[in-house]
Amino acid sequence: MLLAAALAVSAQDSASGDHVRVRWLAPDSFAAGETETVGFYFEVDPEWHVYWRNAGDSGAAPRFDIAADEAEVGGIQWPFPTRLPIEHLTNLGYHGNVAYLFDVTPADGADSLSLDVNLEWLVCRINCIPGFGSMNLERHVGPSANWSAGDRSLRDRFARRIPAAAAASPWQVVSLSEAGGDRIRLTLEGTGEAPQVFPLDGELLTAKEPALRSDGGRLHYTFERVPGAPRPEGSGFVVSDGERAWQFDDIPFTAAAVAPEAQATSLWWLLLAAFAGGAILNLMPCVFPVLSIKLFGLISARTGTAGRLREGLVYSAGVLVTFAALGGLLLALRTGGAAVGWGFQLQSAPVVLALVLLFWLMALSFSGVFEFGHRLMNLAGHSRGGSFATGVLAVFVAAPCTGPFMGAALGAAAVLPAVSAMAVFLGLGAGLAAPFLLLCASPALLNRLPAPGPWMEKFRQLLAFPLYATVIWLLWVLGRLLGDSGWLIGTLLLLVVVFALWLGRNFARAGRVAGYLLAIAALVSAFGALRVPQTDRQQMAQGEWRPYDRAAIEQARADGRAVFIDYTAAWCITCQVNKKLVLDTPEAMALFAAHDVFLVRADWTSQDPEITRALAELGRNSVPVYAWYAPGATEPELLPQILQQQMIAALFDGLFSGESTLQLTEDERP
Amino acid sequence: MNGKQFLRSLVLFAAAPALALAAAVPGEKAPDFSEVDAAGKTHALGDYKGEWLVVEWFNKDCPYVRKHYGSGNMQALQKKYTGEEINWLTVISSARGKQGYLEPAQALEVARSHKLNASAPFLLDADGSMGRAYGAKTTPHMFIINPQGEVVYAGAIDDNDSANPAVIADSTNYVAAALDASLSGEAVDVASSRAYGCSVKY
Repeated sequence: MLLAAALAVSAQDSASGDHVRVRWLAPDSFAAGETETVGFYFEVDPEWHVYWRNAGDSGAAPRFDIAADEAEVGGIQWPFPTRLPIEHLTNLGYHGNVAYLFDVTPADGADSLSLDVNLEWLVCRINCIPGFGSMNLERHVGPSANWSAGDRSLRDRFARRIPAAAAASPWQVVSLSEAGGDRIRLTLEGTGEAPQVFPLDGELLTAKEPALRSDGGRLHYTFERVPGAPRPEGSGFVVSDGERAWQFDDIPFTAAAVAPEAQATSLWWLLLAAFAGGAILNLMPCVFPVLSIKLFGLISARTGTAGRLREGLVYSAGVLVTFAALGGLLLALRTGGAAVGWGFQLQSAPVVLALVLLFWLMALSFSGVFEFGHRLMNLAGHSRGGSFATGVLAVFVAAPCTGPFMGAALGAAAVLPAVSAMAVFLGLGAGLAAPFLLLCASPALLNRLPAPGPWMEKFRQLLAFPLYATVIWLLWVLGRLLGDSGWLIGTLLLLVVVFALWLGRNFARAGRVAGYLLAIAALVSAFGALRVPQTDRQQMAQGEWRPYDRAAIEQARADGRAVFIDYTAAWCITCQVNKKLVLDTPEAMALFAAHDVFLVRADWTSQDPEITRALAELGRNSVPVYAWYAPGATEPELLPQILQQQMIAALFDGLFSGESTLQLTEDERP
Repeated sequence: MNGKQFLRSLVLFAAAPALALAAAVPGEKAPDFSEVDAAGKTHALGDYKGEWLVVEWFNKDCPYVRKHYGSGNMQALQKKYTGEEINWLTVISSARGKQGYLEPAQALEVARSHKLNASAPFLLDADGSMGRAYGAKTTPHMFIINPQGEVVYAGAIDDNDSANPAVIADSTNYVAAALDASLSGEAVDVASSRAYGCSVKY
């Protein structure tokens, strides 16, 4: 007995360092053949912390190097932690004292056991102090374990906080998936208040509190990924209700960003949305003039139903082939790692200049300034090739007019597998082509249109004006892309083209040759002169609106300010309309100012990988997108693509927050 | 999915994560910076175009920095790689009044006493602009930038987050591994890791 007492209080029964004292939680004697859970009890000064197995964004877990004699020891069991925000980081550790536990089983026939332990720990408040120590435990093995009552209850208290097997958890894992390039989403199913979830893998995920969203019985936790961390096969988490915890060791990642079963049900809806979006495009100001001209051609041509149907089909083919080509290009660029989005063709100055030229010629022709034989009319007129070209043209000019329904379909296409994405593109094309095809196919419908007559000449001239307007708008886009020289190059080209036409009309053969030469020279020099300047995004700031800067946005949100981001582009007419009618009105600006909203204008006129990435994180690859972060909100609300004044006002009434307006829906099932 | 939900999903389709802190992400362009070193010379990312650059975050009072400087490990790395024409910038982002903050004269003295072998005496980022742009979380947080200006490594110096210098000998040094692989034209095996250490004192 005396010997036992001497052993029990032998040297190194404890260790200590700055702000920390460590002692054993162990019985005075072990029971032969029985596993006992023992532990290291860390007594930590107030406001100082020691850490969990995954210490989080900084810090380090304690280390225990245990050498056992006459005993088997198990691995360290870590009580579930709490999140400890320190300045810009989050750590995972413990408020106050904590016990790290492990199992000890005396060897068969042993009458005593001994453990020699080297410890290392880190204790932090804001600054961190490492501590080192060694401890020794020598105990008799007898018929029964003999604990001091206080230590046993202390041990039990922390044993209850050790995560139990996943099977016993009231929450079960539905899926683990990548959500954008720098997020990981864990979806749980279960009832009751949402549990805390702690990642086991600090190499993959930061310790920052995940954004939580619930729908029905499902809980979606969106974690921030360590920048550039490769995705492992699976990852583990500890789920805790605050009293107990459960450990999910190796949850495999769901293959795609969108769960496959969700795709199957929602692809049809997406296709329908694409079709509807395409159909609505016909009425958009970019497309309407082109189609009016085509329809006008059909009426005057007086071809039979069969001929018209053929025209309609050829036109549809033009639309679909162009959509397929754009879709293919988009997908090819996507697999190549380039970040592009819908409307990207208008981020290219040569394409814009070519469209300027085309619309200018069409407008001149319709004004009757020149008759370009039937060649130009072919473009928008009679022959089969013409119908095809009209289809191609319709798609190209449709890009800036992202209408309702299109954002969702295009956004989904950006993340769907290639086949589904292509289906969505073709759905858009089918929608765009459908009304025209319907008119061509149905004499009844066509007969409802007014009969041909002299009014048609006036109508044709009238239609030139939207085309002139389009030219002006495209020149403005060119100006935004290239700076002032864009205007100059564009307008000079138009001037030379008109001059060349005049030469050709008035001076027979020599004039025509001179006109051709002049036009070719002008084209070569104009396209050669296109130089995209290094855009300085600072210059894009307008008034209260700041240019897109991820760090500044993050800072404003960290400061508890509301943030409104206007993702826009000069070539996006919908964006410009919203800007003029809603966002840049004195009423809206007054509201923003009164609530100290951090306003950001993310200008996507030219290709900008940062903004493309931000859009992708929002599940979009087209503009406009309006993202609203309420003060302190972790996830943005997206406003509709067509804004109204009261929507802005509603942001501040709280009407535009909560479930009814913003639900992430990609997981929804019927 | 009923009709109302469907409409909602169309109009407000979004996978809407919060914006991340700006950061240097492996595989992407390194964030720009322009900082003055303790000797008064300005360094900007553009100055190192076409060359390799290692950026290291430093706080003289951080035990993990002491682990790598007390043992001579960090200075040895600096010496080895600056000898191979690789640039090495050591940055202090501690704010005035916070742990690790140094005035230029003090920084020069600390560079001497620590036998710093970087390409310049400490870059003094007291406003934290460079640290925040890079998403530097800890000292020592390490970044490697290739001649094209892209980040090829971001994270800890090695795979052992002990504060004990004795473990260095048995640790895998991620920075050395990434530099050696890159210089011999191979892919970097580990391009990202959890940056252990003390929080940067912004």
